[in-house]
Amino acid sequence: MVDKSILEIHKALENGTITSAELVNESLNKSREVQEKYNAFVSIIADAKGTDVTDSLVSGIPFGVKDNFSTKDILTTGSSNTLNNYVPIFNATAVGKLLNAGAVITNKTVLDEFGLGGTGTTGHTGVVKNPWDITRMCAGSSAGSACAVAAGVYPFALGSDTGDSVRKPAAYCGIVGYKPTYGMISRFGLFPFASSLDTVGVLTRNVEDAAIVTDVMKGKDSHDMTTWDSSNMHLKNALTGDVKGKKLFYIKELCDINNYNNPSKELVEHLENFHKTLWLCKELGIEVSGESIDQEILNAIGSVYVVISCAEATSNLSNLTGIIYGPRSDKKNINDMMIDYRTEGFSPLIKRRLVIGSYVLQKENQERYFKNAQKLRRLIVNLMKEFFEKYDGLILPVSCGSAKLLDGSIDKVSREAMALEDHLQIGNFGGFPSITIPNGFVNDLPVGVNITGNCYDDENVLNLAYALESKMPCKNQIAKEAN
Amino acid sequence: MKKQIAVIGLEMHCEMKSNSKVFSSAANSYNETPNSNIQLLDMAFPGTLPVVNKKCVKDALKVSLALNCSQPEYMYFDRKNYYYPDLPKGYQITQMDSPVGVNGKIEIEVNDKLIPVLIHDVHLEEDTASLDHYFDTSTIDYNRCGVPLLELVTEPCLHSAEEAVAFINHIIQMYRYMDVSDADTKRGQVRCDVNVSIMDEDAKDFGTRVEVKNVNSISGVQDVINYEIKRQTELKEQGRYSEVEQETRRWNEETMSTIRMRSKVDAIDYKYFVEPNIPKYRITKEWLSEIKSEIPKLHLERKYNYIESLGLSSYDAGVLVKNKDISDYFEECVKIGIDAKMASNWITTSIMGYLNNEEIDIKDFYINPKRLKDLIDAINSGVISNKQAKEIFNKVLETKKEVKDFLSSDNAQISDADTLISLIDNILGNNKAQIDDYHNGKTNLFDYFVGQVMKETRGKANPVLTKEILNKKLNS
Amino acid sequence: MSKFTKEMVDSYANKLLFNLTGEENQMVLDEFEVIDKTIDLINKIDGIDKLEPMTHALDDFVVDLRDDISEESIELKDVLRNAGATEGREIEVPKVVE
Repeated sequence: MVDKSILEIHKALENGTITSAELVNESLNKSREVQEKYNAFVSIIADAKGTDVTDSLVSGIPFGVKDNFSTKDILTTGSSNTLNNYVPIFNATAVGKLLNAGAVITNKTVLDEFGLGGTGTTGHTGVVKNPWDITRMCAGSSAGSACAVAAGVYPFALGSDTGDSVRKPAAYCGIVGYKPTYGMISRFGLFPFASSLDTVGVLTRNVEDAAIVTDVMKGKDSHDMTTWDSSNMHLKNALTGDVKGKKLFYIKELCDINNYNNPSKELVEHLENFHKTLWLCKELGIEVSGESIDQEILNAIGSVYVVISCAEATSNLSNLTGIIYGPRSDKKNINDMMIDYRTEGFSPLIKRRLVIGSYVLQKENQERYFKNAQKLRRLIVNLMKEFFEKYDGLILPVSCGSAKLLDGSIDKVSREAMALEDHLQIGNFGGFPSITIPNGFVNDLPVGVNITGNCYDDENVLNLAYALESKMPCKNQIAKEAN
Repeated sequence: MKKQIAVIGLEMHCEMKSNSKVFSSAANSYNETPNSNIQLLDMAFPGTLPVVNKKCVKDALKVSLALNCSQPEYMYFDRKNYYYPDLPKGYQITQMDSPVGVNGKIEIEVNDKLIPVLIHDVHLEEDTASLDHYFDTSTIDYNRCGVPLLELVTEPCLHSAEEAVAFINHIIQMYRYMDVSDADTKRGQVRCDVNVSIMDEDAKDFGTRVEVKNVNSISGVQDVINYEIKRQTELKEQGRYSEVEQETRRWNEETMSTIRMRSKVDAIDYKYFVEPNIPKYRITKEWLSEIKSEIPKLHLERKYNYIESLGLSSYDAGVLVKNKDISDYFEECVKIGIDAKMASNWITTSIMGYLNNEEIDIKDFYINPKRLKDLIDAINSGVISNKQAKEIFNKVLETKKEVKDFLSSDNAQISDADTLISLIDNILGNNKAQIDDYHNGKTNLFDYFVGQVMKETRGKANPVLTKEILNKKLNS
Repeated sequence: MSKFTKEMVDSYANKLLFNLTGEENQMVLDEFEVIDKTIDLINKIDGIDKLEPMTHALDDFVVDLRDDISEESIELKDVLRNAGATEGREIEVPKVVE
């Protein structure tokens, strides 16, 4: 039953055909299975208990929490050895709201250490494997959450999205990944990676579930100054499926196969599949047009992201010194103690990113790197906002194809600026609502399509995705190998 | 060697007054029990975020306005990144790019002369945790972590320890007047970084600037400046001025000397950048004018007013304005009609004496301006003598009664002429021999008769009237 | 000759309170080269210098500052719960020399 949609499960709970305790048990059993096969969890909450069923659609239903959300009395590691023994004394706001609504945490999911990675391979508990093909990655950083939702452990799991950390793993795992407008869901209790980009998101198997869960989590929070009042927004109610006359655009440079030198067969198929999806949009009555963006700007997206996110991360991870929390080194000199703790605790990838972040923030470099990246960020956001005056959203294929192989994958700044891999980061630059839904298969592996809209226009964006989802057979799909 | 002038700049940090800390809702109150004023952010638990305290911003703006600074249209905060065990987040939230105030100017009084002081900026930031050191360990108390700090940075425009001290005292007074800080130096609420350089009297360019960090007392600031001027001047005299380096030093109170901490080359790069968790906050003109209207008249303005309009001496005016509550009390006295000099005399002697002895605040002082007026009115109308007034002053304080309760026939001065005349007639009738002696030239017997009247009335006879009547009776 | 050196990378790591292996150091150097090149591209984009750096995700936050109300302290056991060493009510560390 936990592999069904929230509404189906809620109905079953109300009818009494299943109890919350049974659901929790089922989710825990599946968790153990999934852990065995794909290594998706930092911890499984073996003593999780069922709850009462109430009017809240999520009541009694198990869910997963990415291990960078603070959970009271539950180990929370950020998938890092620097916090491998940290037991928080408070709940993240997003988690607290779901618990208050009666949802039940059954596991904490693996991420790339503190979210700084896109492969799901850098967590301190090891590599997360793709449930469709264990030789492939889930992408990241919300790897464990995407894996578990795709494998049917529960109908939803929390993720966080700084560049594409919810939306890319969703594509690789054949599920829905939604990043709302920045500040719609409180970040209080979310371990920070890059504060001006970090967004709480959710992974589900259909758009409606994403709307339901976000309706529970959203809202102004007195602990997060960047949250805003969304009480007049009802995402689930906005899902009418009526999208006639809506307008979407795609970026020609990214979607035209003729723009690529020696494209792989996979990329060819991926873009063909994307253009089929555009046809479906048109069938729904959506107007779709291609727009042009300067290739140089597109090529720079990845660098803007690396510079800004690494810079903020350098500062955000400075609280990790092993004094107040974390496994302390036994060095007798305070400086050695902190150095030992950080040298042992951080993975090589993080260290590299922190050095980059520190470099671009140095007084003598800040103007050239950090400030210029922030300026280009604004230029890109301004550009998008102009488009959003004409269009309801931007539609683009996610990534260059399906999930990449685990071997041969190195998560470092790529030599070739691969705008197709990076464009989801635009969503974080502008705080835009952005949702990935599965739109078919390439090489028998799922691929995704993304719709991104203007700030505060989440209802519209979700409704577009909801309508499009109904035209495709991927809704509620469970990873094949897991079946 | 040419005459040298010292050039001094100050960075003055002061803990502000508020119920809660600047970015967390933990109590901002001095607490001796370690780790008893803590919220999650104060220990930088992962995922915690700063939430700006409105009162702190308001008070900081108040100071900014009082320093005649300009205020930004949008205020925001920056992170100052460095590692130290007393800084849990690994960065301090402060203001670099858009502080609450820049380019201010005020006048301060040094030796009864006004001198201008230029303010570079004033900004709002947070204090660190406090460390206690033991043999081979240190312990960390996070109570102070996140306490609001106001940092005021002057231009290098002061020229002596005396000026610097006067400036610090002026600012402390200002903060207290505006009630934004207790500025209690004994509790370490005021800390200064001091920049000192020397230059030839007629030189255009400043000399090499030495910064002395974290000086915790006003006398410390004075000692540091005098020490550095002497050290730098001596080196210059010896032709070794190149040994004065642009560096950071610290003050050692035991040896009364400054010690090198690090040179400019090793200066920490704090990698400042805008704090993304605190949105840019628009400071409206309306809010600014509301805040401005709440700034009370400050001590220096009051002092000159007392001297020029109320005719007080510079000394008395200075004493009265030292404490805003006392100054407020004085102004209330004047407002309800007490003569300014009389009020000043009473306040600076009897009242302040009493307050000091009893260690109480003038706000809690039983004799409010209204009661003081009752007392002074009684003196002025001749009902009581000054001496009696002092007695009644004490009795009122003892019994918490009203002044009029001690002006009854039993206790009050006898100023009724008829009563005194019959009393004096009676006394003269019983002292015929002395009257004769008086008329025969023993004029000093006059005082004897006064004494007799006083004895009879137990000191309550109006002395002026008594003398007048006696004079008439004896000499006419 | 690259403007980035191994020593430079090590000194940055050092200021961040961790050490890098030789291999990690080399990877940082490689990444620096890539970033440096794209930054050159960024600097060439028209009109970039006239723009205000974007420091926050949104430009139109409706900000409320917090009322000055204090809340009760978190409990001591929670303060000390995750600390590696404590002494009385405080967290203990090796001696901090100023």
